[in-house]
Amino acid sequence: MNAKSTNVKHTISINNSEDFQVSQDELDSFDAIESSKNKWQVLHHEKPLEAELIDSNFKSRTYKVKVNNNQYNVHINSPLDALVKELGFEIGANKQILDIKAPMPGLILDVHVKVGQEVDENDPLLLLEAMKMENVIVSPRAGTIKSITVMKGNAVDKNQLLIEFES
Amino acid sequence: MQEKIDTLNKKLSKANLGGGQHRIDKQHEKKKLTARERVDYLMDEGSFEEIGILVTHRTTDFDMDKEKYYGDGVITGYGTINGRLVYIFAQDFTVFGGALSDTHAEKICKVMDLAVKVGAPMIGLNDSGGARIQEGVRSLGGYADIFYRNVQASGVIPQISAIMGPCAGGAVYSPAMTDFTMMVEGTSYMFVTGPNVVKTVTNETVTSEELGGASTHASKSGVAHVTSSNDIECLEDLKRLLSYLPQNNQKAPKNLPFKLKDEVRDVLSDIIPDSANKPYDMHSVINGIIDDNSFYEIHKDYAENMIVGFSRIGGRSVGIIANQPMFLAGVLDVNSSKKAARFTRFCDCFNIPLLVLVDVPGFLPGTDQEWRGIIVHGAKLLYALSEATVPRVTVITRKAYGGAYDVMNSKHIGADLNFAWPSAEIAVMGAKGASEIIFKKEIQASDNPKEKLAEKEAEYAEKFANPYRAAQRGFIDEVILPKDTRRKLIKAFSMLQHKEVTLPKRKHGNIPL
Amino acid sequence: MKKILVANRGEIAIRVMKTARKMGIKTVAIYSTADRQSPHVQMADEAVLIGEAPSNQSYLLGEKIIEVAKRLNVDGIHPGYGFLSENAEFAELAEKNNIIFIGPKSKAIKIMGSKLAAKDAVKAYDIPMVPGTEEAITDIGEAKKIAKDIGFPILIKASAGGGGKGMRVVEKESEFESQMNRAISEATSAFGDGSVFIEKYVTSPRHIEIQVMADSHGNIVHLFERECSIQRRHQKVVEEAPSSVLTPELRARMGKAAVKVAQACDYLGAGTVEFLLDENLNFYFLEMNTRLQVEHPVTEMITGVDLVELQIRVARGEKLPISQEDLKIKGHAMELRVYAEDPLNDFLPSVGHLDVYKIPVGKNIRVDNGFEEGMDIPIYYDPMLAKLITYGNTREEAIELMLEAITQYRVEGVETTLPFGTFVFEHDAFRSGNFDTHFVKNYYSPETLKQQFDVEAKIAATIALKKYLEDRTILRLPII
Repeated sequence: MNAKSTNVKHTISINNSEDFQVSQDELDSFDAIESSKNKWQVLHHEKPLEAELIDSNFKSRTYKVKVNNNQYNVHINSPLDALVKELGFEIGANKQILDIKAPMPGLILDVHVKVGQEVDENDPLLLLEAMKMENVIVSPRAGTIKSITVMKGNAVDKNQLLIEFES
Repeated sequence: MQEKIDTLNKKLSKANLGGGQHRIDKQHEKKKLTARERVDYLMDEGSFEEIGILVTHRTTDFDMDKEKYYGDGVITGYGTINGRLVYIFAQDFTVFGGALSDTHAEKICKVMDLAVKVGAPMIGLNDSGGARIQEGVRSLGGYADIFYRNVQASGVIPQISAIMGPCAGGAVYSPAMTDFTMMVEGTSYMFVTGPNVVKTVTNETVTSEELGGASTHASKSGVAHVTSSNDIECLEDLKRLLSYLPQNNQKAPKNLPFKLKDEVRDVLSDIIPDSANKPYDMHSVINGIIDDNSFYEIHKDYAENMIVGFSRIGGRSVGIIANQPMFLAGVLDVNSSKKAARFTRFCDCFNIPLLVLVDVPGFLPGTDQEWRGIIVHGAKLLYALSEATVPRVTVITRKAYGGAYDVMNSKHIGADLNFAWPSAEIAVMGAKGASEIIFKKEIQASDNPKEKLAEKEAEYAEKFANPYRAAQRGFIDEVILPKDTRRKLIKAFSMLQHKEVTLPKRKHGNIPL
Repeated sequence: MKKILVANRGEIAIRVMKTARKMGIKTVAIYSTADRQSPHVQMADEAVLIGEAPSNQSYLLGEKIIEVAKRLNVDGIHPGYGFLSENAEFAELAEKNNIIFIGPKSKAIKIMGSKLAAKDAVKAYDIPMVPGTEEAITDIGEAKKIAKDIGFPILIKASAGGGGKGMRVVEKESEFESQMNRAISEATSAFGDGSVFIEKYVTSPRHIEIQVMADSHGNIVHLFERECSIQRRHQKVVEEAPSSVLTPELRARMGKAAVKVAQACDYLGAGTVEFLLDENLNFYFLEMNTRLQVEHPVTEMITGVDLVELQIRVARGEKLPISQEDLKIKGHAMELRVYAEDPLNDFLPSVGHLDVYKIPVGKNIRVDNGFEEGMDIPIYYDPMLAKLITYGNTREEAIELMLEAITQYRVEGVETTLPFGTFVFEHDAFRSGNFDTHFVKNYYSPETLKQQFDVEAKIAATIALKKYLEDRTILRLPII
């Protein structure tokens, strides 16, 4: 039996980035009525809003909530999550980045590196054009280029392998 | 009543603090989670039920009765991991450095007994300085009670040990008798005798890390099956390992839902190099066969000429044993034989089908191997595979020479389906060696022995360095296109899923140990 | 006219086909390899693969398109907007092959395609123009004299420039020389041509354009104005009709001026005359767009006219069925361009897959849409997904309906200008009608949008937390 204190602040991450704190008081004073299954009518500072719970996964503590027209992916952090962060634990911490994949579909406008070349972190590797915008893909690490699987002029798909590093 | 409820709550919140906030902070400083945090992280939220939270020790010597903590240095109980029931003990370093007392041992035995009776995996998170010296022989008895139960449970329920701190002296034998030992890099070590005793006895100077750290046991001794870089990774690895295993030996692992498509993998066509002397990474073959990202490698850094690990093939849990041509040409030696034999026996215990991928040039020759007993260790693998009754399928990708061909799950030792790629060379030995023996006289008599040898070598290769002789004889059931391998294997394991073998009555076999 | 080829893609191709179908005309779509999935392909009576994804290998291949048109016995080509719509050679090529180009004659395209030629053509018609040099100059002394005559602030514009490049505003005389030098050197290095224009800089300009329609019988009408001042990256994103600042008298004057511009180039079909309107309601002729505009629907909503239908009719030689007197403004219309762009990140294109895509429906809501759920947004073309248009009896009604429609518009997988739309339509400056082309610069920053998101995010977080705490109380048993 875990006799946990009820007056804790919950840390909540939204869309994998921002952290929010929601206190018990805020939770108690939150004015929302579940009008139908998973649909909520919220009164926020006297302004009515609509919210909908689209998906919930208790096990991974992730919830998808739509407010107005925007969807928010919410992760409820446990007190352990904070500790894990504080201790600097990371899964795959000892595993190095070994390859670079296309972050979006586009055209390879230029390849700045050669196989065997040593690069530093943040050195430009490739120029990827998507919708006429040029994106410089920089090296996430220092290392040696093992292979380059694309050429200037190639169209690439999202997540297509572009460059491999020596391990 | 309220007063009584308050009393209970007070006791429980005290128990939750283990050895106190000060020691918890110290544990964190050492980059270690506390036992309670580990259990919380590992178990599905809200699923853990603790057993024996209010237990305290009974020692009165050395004023021990003045220092008592609820739980007595170990958290025991049950809960679920991904919905599946598991039993657990987690040693609490914040209480007497996790030292084992007889009450501490009793708690562990209690949950082990339940795990066997119910038939669910047993997980041990070890973090203990050793025996509770103040208790003397009672503590030793406690260890032995656990060892005995480890053995009784062996092959009945999966037992997994994670070493997440010190584990020294007699304590090491409990993990050693479980199915898998996991270690955390930098914060865990295991040895029978510590550096101080080593210094006194053998005059060797060695650090704890060198003597028995995670990397030592992962690469040199093979004691550790899996190592992880921190507590969290270790617990995640443990969860993942568990996902391939059934609840007990009467059950099969759960198949994951899998939507089949054509399952043709063209990537397999280009792996085997043109030259027989060129190595390639057997991992590429494995990854080409199995469900995406499903390989869980065991003993990754130990005896690297052999790859073993769990995978999913069409959603089904399958143990893989594969020669690795990248290391020592994939040869069989003492360590790789032991590694593969142990893995085979685990899979056989727990109804996990086996896939054996073969590219083996033979056994490693030399005095080192012979004197270390390659005969008896090689026999372990031969024995383990021969006695395994789970579905067994073999794919020969390239070389299968000599006795090693027999050992690597050949038809003759009970494999259910044996496939070979067109690149397979199934023969007594390589073409060169064979020609030197068979055509010895002819070559010696020749004006140009070198040319003659080459000629004969080519002749031999043409005749025998292929899978067709073996296929004619039925030793190979089918020669398959590499790209179809995954298709064939999904069908094969599905076809074999209800395989049953009745064994002759015996107490147990006598595997050459 | 029995069969029209629509030399375009996306929403405008669909828009044109809708009218053609209504008129009993068959349609031919062309598409690139990247657009096989696009709804315009499905909608046409016939669809022809024209080439690879990049537009210079597909939608810009004029000759190939003409060949297709001939092969399929097409008698008219509608170019939509963009691509070949203002390409005089293409229009000429169509004319030569006896295919009706649904648009003006190539001569008009040519004239209006050149700033100088356009100015020249309208000179005789007494159209007000932004005071400035008539020709490009490089002489600093002469330039300074002109600048003084016009009065500061003035704008220096590279004659070869475009899209804001090589433009400089000079506030007072003392800064003129240095700014001029820099403008020349900038223009030289950017375009290899150092010549510049000098003109009056209108400090608080509004972008007002007049829709005109001309037939081949000498009739030209104007269909009032569109207000297009809300722009980002020098491109329109919100438009409305009518403008909230034009008086009937000014509207008539601007309409007349626009008709004169059309006369000046012997115009045929639908065209748009763009004006700059300063804070004192003086208007200046900017240029004429010789095609159907993206934002044409707001005009259709307030006049009840189908502009594409009129285009087709006058293209086949019919007389305009309406006179200027018939045309009346009824109600108010708003348009929001829904781009796959991230308003939080400088309106950069947001490439991706439309995981969810549901457009709003309802009375007085019109969506000219070119995408469907599950489609990828091709990287090769303009990232506009659709145009969301609402209509109301009053401006307020149209705005409110727009806000409602935006909340019903569901897009997941890419960022869009929808939240920016909410920002604009809720903004006091926009609602009061008191705004100019600097609206985005003056009022918008990603932070303002983010604040709104933060409020919502907190609500989402609280609801999730409530649900989580509720979930936690449920007793769960192991799966056996």
